[in-house]
Amino acid sequence: MAMAGTTWRGVCAGVRRARPLLPGQQRSLLPGSAVALLRMRWTAAGKSRSRREAAEAEADAPVYQYVSERARRADRIFTWGFSYTGALGIPSFVQPSADGPAAGRKPRAIQPVPYRLEMDARISSVACGYGFTLLSSQTQDITKVWGMGLNKDSQLGFHRSRKDKSRGYEYVLEPSPVPLPLDRPQETRVLQVACGRAHSLILTDREGVLSMGNNSYGQCGRAVVANEIYSESHQVHRMRDFDGRVVQIVCGQDHSLFLTDKGEVYSCGWGADGQTGLGHYNITSTPTKVGGAIGGVRIVQVATYGDFCLAVSADGDLFGWGNSEYLQLASITEATQVNIPTHLPFSGIGKVKQAACGGTSGAVLNDEGNVFVWGYGILGKGPNLMETALPEMIPPTLFGLSDFNPDVRVSHICCGLSQFAALTNKGELFVWGKNIRGCLGIGRLEDQYFPWRRAW
Amino acid sequence: MGSLERSGLHGLFAVYKPPGLHWKHLRDTVEFKLLKGLNSKKQYTPKEHIRFLLAPKEGSERGELTLIAKNVPALSEHSLVRGPKYTSMKVGVGHLLDVKSSGVLVLGVGRGNKLLTDIYNAHLTKDYTVRGLLGKATDDFSDEGRLIEKTTYDHVTPEKLSRILAVIQGSHQKAMVMYSNLDLKTQEAYEMAVKGLIRPMDKSPMLITGIRCLKFAPPEFLLEIQCMHETQQLLRRVVHEIGLELKSSAVCTQVRRTRDGVFTLEDALLRTQWNIHNIQTSIQKAAPRVEAELEKSQTIALDHPDPVGQSVS
Repeated sequence: MAMAGTTWRGVCAGVRRARPLLPGQQRSLLPGSAVALLRMRWTAAGKSRSRREAAEAEADAPVYQYVSERARRADRIFTWGFSYTGALGIPSFVQPSADGPAAGRKPRAIQPVPYRLEMDARISSVACGYGFTLLSSQTQDITKVWGMGLNKDSQLGFHRSRKDKSRGYEYVLEPSPVPLPLDRPQETRVLQVACGRAHSLILTDREGVLSMGNNSYGQCGRAVVANEIYSESHQVHRMRDFDGRVVQIVCGQDHSLFLTDKGEVYSCGWGADGQTGLGHYNITSTPTKVGGAIGGVRIVQVATYGDFCLAVSADGDLFGWGNSEYLQLASITEATQVNIPTHLPFSGIGKVKQAACGGTSGAVLNDEGNVFVWGYGILGKGPNLMETALPEMIPPTLFGLSDFNPDVRVSHICCGLSQFAALTNKGELFVWGKNIRGCLGIGRLEDQYFPWRRAW
Repeated sequence: MGSLERSGLHGLFAVYKPPGLHWKHLRDTVEFKLLKGLNSKKQYTPKEHIRFLLAPKEGSERGELTLIAKNVPALSEHSLVRGPKYTSMKVGVGHLLDVKSSGVLVLGVGRGNKLLTDIYNAHLTKDYTVRGLLGKATDDFSDEGRLIEKTTYDHVTPEKLSRILAVIQGSHQKAMVMYSNLDLKTQEAYEMAVKGLIRPMDKSPMLITGIRCLKFAPPEFLLEIQCMHETQQLLRRVVHEIGLELKSSAVCTQVRRTRDGVFTLEDALLRTQWNIHNIQTSIQKAAPRVEAELEKSQTIALDHPDPVGQSVS
């Protein structure tokens, strides 16, 4: 390994703007300076000075301050995965500019490791749809939501093209402000964003829920218009007639779920798999309250991604409905579609704190910080476990629990279509699942069969 | 030499190396003390034998000489004639410690030297306690080096430190799996990951398997580091890099090895205990543990694929 004498250069190699607290010792022209210079003279054989001289020189040395006492860590956004649609927000990935470092190279198809996305605003909520991304901030400025990626169904709103003022962009390559028709744009705050296959939802604190994008199944919460053209559309629909205030929104592939502060769930959109949970398999074009086993139960969190939905109650019970072709609900029924919310009586998972749905699987996090997975696909317990109807716990040692760190717990879980991500209380991110086009961000393009620490 | 074979001085034992002592001087001192102990065992019993010496005949005036039998001491077995019986012993050293660091140092005597190679190939982890001092950076990362820079450290909190330690541990975990040449898509890899057994069985750069902060009292902090394939200077460099990550600077004031494989601080002999009797008991006490650990490592080595990618077994 490198010798001690050569590596100290690393101390000064980074860009550091330093302010010495004790000003100018070497440069003063006072009479005493000659003596001071002599004492601090650096001899060739550095250690031949006496200890007393060295200690005095050390006491005289200036103290640099790089960071003040109350410095706060800046929030940062990183993106990775498939970049041809511009969903990563870095234009040079899709269109390497004629000059600059990426000149002459082909567009980058996959970003295999997280890449920093520079945003000035403090982003509080992020959502990824199918080829597009929405970022939102809780600011009271006019611009609260930014979008990038695929915009062929106006899922990012209308972005006027600079070349032709009458047209809009079909692909947005960098985070661009999404115009929102708010009554009081300088008072309303955006709390959360959610993205589905070709539609998006934006939750505000006092003006209800806004929806944009494809509405062919009523997923935007408005009546389906035959032969409507969704691209370059300016239409943003607002939904306000909920009983209570909406606190959480989630988008499935072509349906939307809304959770109010009273613990009630509303849904709209495509229902052929029963994912709207309204007792039928037709489409719904206005948000309607969901009954079934969750009618009268206080729900605290809903989750969905594909065509399968989960809801968690305040008591830690789990309810599910929707698609069950991949054993998601096989523990209670043999049917492949369930159109009414049903209680999932899983024993051994304890009190459920959070649920997440993938395309073909489900995952729950209990209050002890353990993760349980079931369904079909790469579930996270090695290549031998590809499908199960009952939840199986992922060994906590895979998340870093050891004799050295006995208090590691998972604090948050999230699902993609066939991927999982878990965040621990130590701030570490673990990902596993199918690594489609580098979406896991681990630097390799192979699938990951057990939780992998995403460290850099 | 029969006595040396039967003396029980074959095997591994641990000593405590104090800081400031070169490992070679320590090894020479231990060898000297062992030889002293062995040589002092042999008691010299004065022997006599009969020799026929010329002496003047009694009662003769012309001084005729005749042979007279006399008992004279036999000096051929005397230690001043022969010299000490044992002049050298094979004493080998396990994983080294540099001059400034202290802690458990494993030595092997006699046939134990062959076990030293096996221990090295077992690639076991070692525990260190490392003391760091915030506020200055030196050229050799310890507090006796030439001062490079002094910085403030009032912004450093235990949470920031533990976050940086988690990042260090995470990146080293990833490196461990990479250097262990395992195919991550197999069920065996998953089972080894669950048990925490993924470890490179070949040469690799320093890998930290665990790092945590035991005490934080600015400007001092105490870390416990569990690592393999390390040198003490690399550990001091880790302290320096932690200082940089905290946007301050740090030097390392103490590196102390608390465990080397199966030998812990309780097994380590102090300078006053470096004599033949203590070393014999220490070897006997450690022998079963060493054997068990070597057997376990043999089975892991058999399961591990070699770098070409094919399983050895």
